[in-house]
Amino acid sequence: MPARLIDTAEIVSRRILAIDDEEPNVLLLRSLLEREGYTDIHCLTDPKSALAAYIDLEPDLVLLDLMMPEVDGFQLLEAFGRHDRAEEFRPVLVLTADTTLQARRRALALGAKDFVAKPFDVVEVALRISNLLETRVLYERLRDS
Amino acid sequence: MIDGGTRKTSRFWADRPLAVKGLVVVILPLAILLGSLVSLYLASSAETRAENDVRRAFAIQRDTYQVHALLAEAAAGVRGYVLTGEERFLQSYRQAQDEVPATMARLDTAIEDPVVRGHFETLRLRERDKQDGLKQIVSLAERGTEVSSEVEDALIANKLALDEVRRCIDDIQRREAIVLDERRARVDEVRRGFLVVTGVSALVGLLGSLSAVYLFSTGIVRRVRKLEADAQALAEGQRLTDRPEETDEIGRLAQRLVRASALLHAREHDLRTSEERFRLVIERVRDYGIFALDPDGNVTSWNLGAERIKGWRAEDILGRHFSRFYPPDTRDHLPAEMLERARQSGSAEDEGWRVRKDGTRFWANVVITALRDEQGELQGFAKVTRDMSERRRSEDALRTAREEAEAASLAKSQFLSRTSHELRTPLNAILGFGQLLEIDEENFQGNHREAIGQITKAGRHLLSLINDLLDISSIEAGGSDLKLNRIEMNELLDEVHALAFPIVASAGLSYELEQAEQPAFVRADSRRVTQVILNLVGNAAKYNRGGTFVRLACISGDDFVKITVEDDGPGIPAEVAERLFTPFDRLGQQDRAKIEGTGLGLALSKSLIESMGGEIGYEPLPRGSRFWFKLPRPVAEDDTPADDLSPLTEETSCQLD
Repeated sequence: MPARLIDTAEIVSRRILAIDDEEPNVLLLRSLLEREGYTDIHCLTDPKSALAAYIDLEPDLVLLDLMMPEVDGFQLLEAFGRHDRAEEFRPVLVLTADTTLQARRRALALGAKDFVAKPFDVVEVALRISNLLETRVLYERLRDS
Repeated sequence: MIDGGTRKTSRFWADRPLAVKGLVVVILPLAILLGSLVSLYLASSAETRAENDVRRAFAIQRDTYQVHALLAEAAAGVRGYVLTGEERFLQSYRQAQDEVPATMARLDTAIEDPVVRGHFETLRLRERDKQDGLKQIVSLAERGTEVSSEVEDALIANKLALDEVRRCIDDIQRREAIVLDERRARVDEVRRGFLVVTGVSALVGLLGSLSAVYLFSTGIVRRVRKLEADAQALAEGQRLTDRPEETDEIGRLAQRLVRASALLHAREHDLRTSEERFRLVIERVRDYGIFALDPDGNVTSWNLGAERIKGWRAEDILGRHFSRFYPPDTRDHLPAEMLERARQSGSAEDEGWRVRKDGTRFWANVVITALRDEQGELQGFAKVTRDMSERRRSEDALRTAREEAEAASLAKSQFLSRTSHELRTPLNAILGFGQLLEIDEENFQGNHREAIGQITKAGRHLLSLINDLLDISSIEAGGSDLKLNRIEMNELLDEVHALAFPIVASAGLSYELEQAEQPAFVRADSRRVTQVILNLVGNAAKYNRGGTFVRLACISGDDFVKITVEDDGPGIPAEVAERLFTPFDRLGQQDRAKIEGTGLGLALSKSLIESMGGEIGYEPLPRGSRFWFKLPRPVAEDDTPADDLSPLTEETSCQLD
């Protein structure tokens, strides 16, 4: 593993919110994250409660599915964007089985910081998660300095 | 005969040129006038002559009296001289001696009448006798002789001589009086004749003028008036029939008018015939409603097609406004707009709903054309209407079919997208957990490890199956977003090398590449072509058991570029070669069970190549197999160059079978 700017312990202590209507996928993410040493993991299968959880928990990273019943990932991306202050950097990693170009463009345009198609490679996803959290920590340091 | 002669004369007169007629008309009265003047002159000179004669007769009478008087006074004077001897009495004698010869000479020249001439000759003798007598007396007296008998005798003789003279003079006078009367009578006669000549001349001059005017007015003015009437008739379009026979200018003009009339009539007839034919053609056209409008939009003509399309009979619609063909929602404004547009730009076209007489609607194509005369004055409009209902219906049907097809296509692509999502979601958990288990495989027994391996392998197989299937379906649904560009195959093969070489090398085979000598341009989607090449190369590498190479070649044809992939493996049995490109038909399944593949690779390649307008095929080699595909060359020079750098190009993984 390449040298990191941030201590791994600092990264794995960060709060992650995973939103996916499919229970097995949520479980997979939790298993993966736990295996990577993350400690502050919150998972949701009901997208309707996602915004409240986002506001309450103030996660450092959101793992978001797109195609969900009633409230989809795009709506949530918009809601997150409306809630956060303009200069806030709270990365969202979109994990979706919708592999179309349109979905990718739209998600990234709505503020998603990264996009991985399902079925995904667990190692790749773990790396992207840590990268995004690293950026998040760096952002916080910059903000607070 | 006389009648014929008159007619001939009048024809002769009528045929003379106008110049001759004019000359005659002017000269005739002048000639008559001249004749009158000549006769007047003659008459007046005759009168003058007669008056001169009368004057001469008076002169002769006077002179004869004078001769008598002179002689008488001379005789008296001589007698006085004789008696008194006084000289002064001789004065009258001497005067007579002087004047009588002159008077006698005058008479000699004046007298013409032979009878008077005879008397005059006698008078001349008596006058000499008298003069001689007087001379003798005077000479006697001068000698101083007293009144003697000689003198006495002489005086008596002289007195007798005077009587003789008087008698002669009386004869002359009597004769002259007769002559004078004759002459006076002649003068009266001449004067009467003069009056008659004057009267006749005046009469003839008047008649001549009248006849000239008559000739002029009857011969020329009458015919000019007729000509004018003919021209008027011609102007009114009547036909001139009576052809004049005269050959002078007026006659020729009249003949030309008649000819012009005939020509005009013939042309008019031709025009009417052609118009009639044209009208019949228009009237009998059934598929187009053709009719005319006056400038206000009222119908002025109507054909069979219009009757068929609109349901109105000519007698019901003529004179009515054409706005009644429009449905109520456009009736107020569209007809006026159409006429205005036609007026402005010559014609106006429209397609829309119109109504028939029975109120039913039909879809019509309408063209209104403004009709203008040569001065550009608007005469009305021609309107051609076509019933497009049938075409409209078929267009509607076509549109509906297209919309249904599009809807079906949309539904299908939505279904595919949905299916893709629904299949990938559980696969994500399967492959994800499988991968996690693989990572932690040291925790498991050997047989469990194998089971975990089978789970992830089957999961990946399932994923590639899903991807191929969706690819094929989306190509067949026309939903595949092919980006056809002008690409150069040699360059593409260079790029493919980096991807294909590892596949071939990992199978322990040598990779051979033969590029075309010339640049080989095709019109294709480079990403899809790469996908097909990798599929064929992958197959060759996988199935080439016991061979040594995989050879990739590019051959440039006239209107295509051919790519071949050859191997020197066992080849494909002929009985199964024909099913090579059929989906899910894995060849020699029992023999090849150990080889990974979905059975969709060749089917997908076929779909891709065909969707780019190309061809794909297989042919056996004496040792090995040859797969090939052809792609068309770019159709025109204006093809945009390959822009594979487009950021919108969709990322795909090449699925190998």
